[in-house]
Order: sequence, then structure tokens, then C-alpha cells
Amino acid sequence: MNRSRVGVSKPALWRLVFVAFCLFVLSGLLISRLVVLQVIDRDRGVGFLQQQGALRSVRTAEIPAYRGLVTDRRGQPLAVSTPVVSIWANPQQLLDSADVVQLATTMGQTPEALAERINLYSDKQFMYLARHQTPDQARAILDLGVPGVRGEREYRRFYPAGEVVSQLVGLTNVDGEGIAGVELAYNEWLRGQTGKKRYLKDLHGDAIRNIGVIEQARSGKSLALSIDLRLQYLQHRVLQRAMVETGAAAGAAVTLDARTGEILAMTNHPVFNPNSREGFDYAATRNRVVTDVFEPGSTMKPLTLVAALESGEYTIESLIDTSPGRVRVGRKVLPDPRNYGEISVSRVIEKSSQVGVTKMAQQMGHEPILEVFQRFGLGEPSSIGFPGERSGVLPNRQRWSDIEKVTLAFGYGLTATPLQLAHAYAVFANEGSQVPLTLLKRNEGESLPIRQVISPEIAGQVLEVLNRVTGSEGTAQKARVDGFRVGGKTGTVHKVGDAGYLDDKYVALFVGVAPIENPRFVTAVVVDQPKGDNYGGGAAAAPIYSAITDGVLRLHNARPAESHEARQLVGLGGGA
Amino acid sequence: MTLRVLPACLLAAALCSALAVVYSSHVVRELYSKQQSVEYQQWALQEDYSRLLLEHSTLASPHRIISIAQDDLAMQPPQLSVHRLVQFQGGQQR
Repeated sequence: MNRSRVGVSKPALWRLVFVAFCLFVLSGLLISRLVVLQVIDRDRGVGFLQQQGALRSVRTAEIPAYRGLVTDRRGQPLAVSTPVVSIWANPQQLLDSADVVQLATTMGQTPEALAERINLYSDKQFMYLARHQTPDQARAILDLGVPGVRGEREYRRFYPAGEVVSQLVGLTNVDGEGIAGVELAYNEWLRGQTGKKRYLKDLHGDAIRNIGVIEQARSGKSLALSIDLRLQYLQHRVLQRAMVETGAAAGAAVTLDARTGEILAMTNHPVFNPNSREGFDYAATRNRVVTDVFEPGSTMKPLTLVAALESGEYTIESLIDTSPGRVRVGRKVLPDPRNYGEISVSRVIEKSSQVGVTKMAQQMGHEPILEVFQRFGLGEPSSIGFPGERSGVLPNRQRWSDIEKVTLAFGYGLTATPLQLAHAYAVFANEGSQVPLTLLKRNEGESLPIRQVISPEIAGQVLEVLNRVTGSEGTAQKARVDGFRVGGKTGTVHKVGDAGYLDDKYVALFVGVAPIENPRFVTAVVVDQPKGDNYGGGAAAAPIYSAITDGVLRLHNARPAESHEARQLVGLGGGA
Repeated sequence: MTLRVLPACLLAAALCSALAVVYSSHVVRELYSKQQSVEYQQWALQEDYSRLLLEHSTLASPHRIISIAQDDLAMQPPQLSVHRLVQFQGGQQR
């Protein structure tokens, strides 16, 4: 210091200037590099650096969206999303942790089992410890404060009505996406939009600050079905009981409101519990009402009757000679249970006489019958858009053999679902017109796209005949409902096996309309392979129809037909 | 004159903006914690709501109603013989 004050020598000054210059250039270089990185070069500079920084501290998390409620037509919940917490952990932090024992006890597992599971994920950063815990369970686990264990909010689907509507409402998978039934069909409507938020995390992965919501979670919309849960429950109970009584392999029933096309109830057997995946049976998830097709058999005879009445060659009182109780078509002989002699067209349907229908079909030819089937919507999918729905098949061949022409008239050689059958009969209940089916509740006063299928007069006549089928001479006396006039038609169909029709396996059917004075409700019942002697539609399916319709009419406060005595007179009149 | 006022103004503006940053980040923190608690509340309410919904539908399930009506209260569907039809005179009754 002293020397410098005395005076700086020339070379010393030069050195000082040189060093200062070097330092200045160096710092200039550094500053310019900084400017390049921070300002000028966006791609490899500032953008890259910001990205690298964010990779280490900024995380995006999903905000779960609430899935919409599915309710019945009266607002009873059928599918509800409930908040649950999924517990996850970073296995790295648990591998040698002493907390595993405490954690396992709280979760209700043995420490060994948990340690084994953690070891499985020893090279991972993430594992679920327990998914879909109730908030209380999750709180107990999270309150332990084990490092590396965290909770994540989710929703779980719960089905309060359980097996009663299981096939109809369907299922969601563990991530809340619909995979079957209404849950799948209306997935877009029900599911919300998952939101996204960004947050800063610290070294241990804990969130320290939310940066902001990138996308707000939007809740799904709720859906009101046309189903009436009371009716659905009743139908379910009747069907399950009947399945036990008849020893049948499977069964299905569906009830429609013919005026609005709304499906009021739809049940199947076997059933499954949608709230538990233990012992899960995939076959039981099938909604047989829409996915299973079979030959409708004698339940098609009223449609053949429509063709006959429309041809103008028959009225319901025209006489047909069915003696000697059998008729030969080609190489086949079609028998009646006994010789009915000369009977009216109405009685042919009441008795479900094979000979009578065959003679009518031979007179008319198959074309008008096929045309009527088409007009009633057979062979076409309904408008409900149910996943896995089938449409059945109407025959479409170039050459028709004699036997094919007549078997069509009594419902062989074509296939249909129970829903299609019910929809076809809805024509009779709605003055000859058909309303598109729906699984959703219709609004009051909604204008309906009605399609006139047959004339109201013919619909009325067929309805009268259907009522007589449940009369004292008919095949469906077990379909009667106390206090009401109902009508319908039985069907008993041989099942098809590897070598054609099976002699000992049947499908029993009944499709009915009620009440006759003010027709509105159509119910179709299918019993697959009833055991024992009571395998026919009149014995196996008609009682189910009766029990269901009794409930339907009671729930809708339908007006009883006449007094008890008058009703008996009606029964006698029907037989004449 | 302007040469002397301008730096002073800039300095004051910078100071104000700095304080505003402090203030606004304080507000953000406050609002964020509020949002957190409201979100938590929403979650808790939803939890309650869906629990009540499920409880309600369990209590009102047709199965339970039928078993109470039949077993506990010994009720049965009315026989046809006790039905009485009441005629309304074109709405004059109301």
C-alpha cells in the first residue's frame, strides 16, 4: 500500500490495466452468455432451462370428476358415485421402513404380506397400497403419517338397488368408465370432464404450493331412466321365485308403457351383484331382454291373425275346419292336441290350433304374413341403443318350401328378442300405432313420433281375441289377473340344438296386454328351459305374467273391470 | 427539472410495484388456503350427501318396505271383495 501511494511504476500500471481489461472481458462474456441463455435463444436456452426446472419441481395432478347419478323415473338412485380415497406409496421410502408393521395392522393385513408386496415394486416409484378406501378407513391410514404414503381422491360407483337392476344399469371399471349397460350406453353423458391442476413439490414429493388449475373438473350429468324401481323390484322378485319353481336355466321379463314407449321394468335371471366382483359371473351380466334372440313361436299367431283380417277373407268369427286334428304339409304332419272340429278364427288363436293357423297361412300365402311381421318392427333393432342389443332375423329367401311358408305363420324360422315381442304387442295396446321405445324418462307433453301400423279396428279385434285366450277355453287361464280383464298369447318353442330342434328342451313364452278396456301395459315373459311337465307357455310363463301385471295395475291405480260376478260372466262370454 | 423528477418517479413506481407484488402474493396465498378449505368442505359435503343418498335408498328399498309391511305390521294386499270404486262428478268434487 505504501509503495503505491509513493508512485506506481510504469510496468505495474500496465499490468493493472491488463488485468482489469481481462476481468472486464470475462465478465462481458459471462453476461453475454447469460443474455443468450435467458433472452435470445428461446429453444435451447430459456425454454429448455424452464422445462428442466419444472421437471424437477412442478407436477400436474388430476382433479377427479363426479360421475352423474342414474335414477329411476321417480328419482330413486340406481347408481351413485361416492367419494373414496386410494392410498398409494413410493415403495423406495417403504422398503426398509419400520413403519410397515404399523401400516399393515391399520390396513388389516399381515406385515409379511405387505412387505412382500412392497418388494414386488422395489424398482418402482409408485404403487397402490389400497384402492377405493372409505374416507374413514383412509383417514386412519393417512393419520399414521408414514413418509411416502399418500392418499388420492377418487370416486367409486355404488349401486343401491343391487342385483335388481344389475344388467340394465351395467357397470363401470375401476377408473370410473362405463363398461356395460346404461353406464356404457350413456357414458359420455354421465361421466364428467377430469380437471387438471399444477402444483410445486418439494424434495420428498409433498405438494408445497398449488400453481393453479389448468382445467376445472366438470361434473357429469344425471340420467333419469324410464324404469320404475318399485315395478322393477316386483318383477325381479316374481321372476326369481318362478325360476326356482320351474327350475329354468334362464328367464327374462320386460314391461312397457305402450302409450309412451317407455320401458317400465326389465329383469333377467341369472343375476349378479354389481357391488362386488367376487364370484363374478359374466353370463349373468347379459341383459337377456335385448341380447338374446329365439324363435317366438305361437306368440306370432296374433300377427298372423292381423294379416288374415287385413286380407279381408276372414273375420274373427269366420269358421275354419280343423278336423281331423292334423294337417299334412309336404312330408311333415302338424298335429293339434285333439280334434277341435269346425271352429272360429278367434277360437283358433285361443286354442293355439296349429291346424287352423296352417290352413289360414296356406290360404293367404307367406308374403302378407312376412309383411305384417316387418311392419310390427321385427327384424329391426329398437331405438334404445343398448350395448349388445340384437335385432333378430326375418327370413329373406328366394325360394320358400311349403313347410317354411306355414311355419312362419306360427313363429318358426324367424328370431326376435323379448323386447321386440313386447314392442310388437304394444301395437294392439295403442290403437294400432307404435311409439319408439326408450329407456329414458319422457317429459310430460313430449310430442311422440307415432307410427300407425294397423287400423284401430283390427287392433281392437285382436285385443278381444287376446282377452279370450285368457278365458275359460283359452290356453292362458293362468295369466288372468283378479279384477281385471287382460289378454295375451302363449308360446312354447322347441330349442335348437346341434341336430335341429330338441324334443325335450323348450322356451316358454307369454306376451300380454292389460287392461283390455283401457290397454296400456305390455309385458313379455320368457322362461328358458323350464323343467318338469309344466314346460309350456301357459304353465310356465303365464303365471309370471299374471303376478307382474297384478302389480303393474295396482301401482298405476288402474280401474278394476267389473264386480266379481260380472267378471265371471265375462269369462263365460269369452268361451262362447 | 424533468431530469431530477423522472428518476424519483421511477423509484417510487418501482417501490409501489414491489409492495404490490408482496401484497398480491399474500392475497393469493390467503385465497388459495380459502379455496383449499372450501374444496375440502365440498368433498366432505359430497361424502355426506352420497352417504345419505345410499342410506335413504337402503331404508326406502322395496325389499325392506315389503318385509316390514308383511312381517312386522302383518299387512296384506287388499282383497278384491273389499275394493270400492268411487265416481267423481267431472271434477266438481275439488
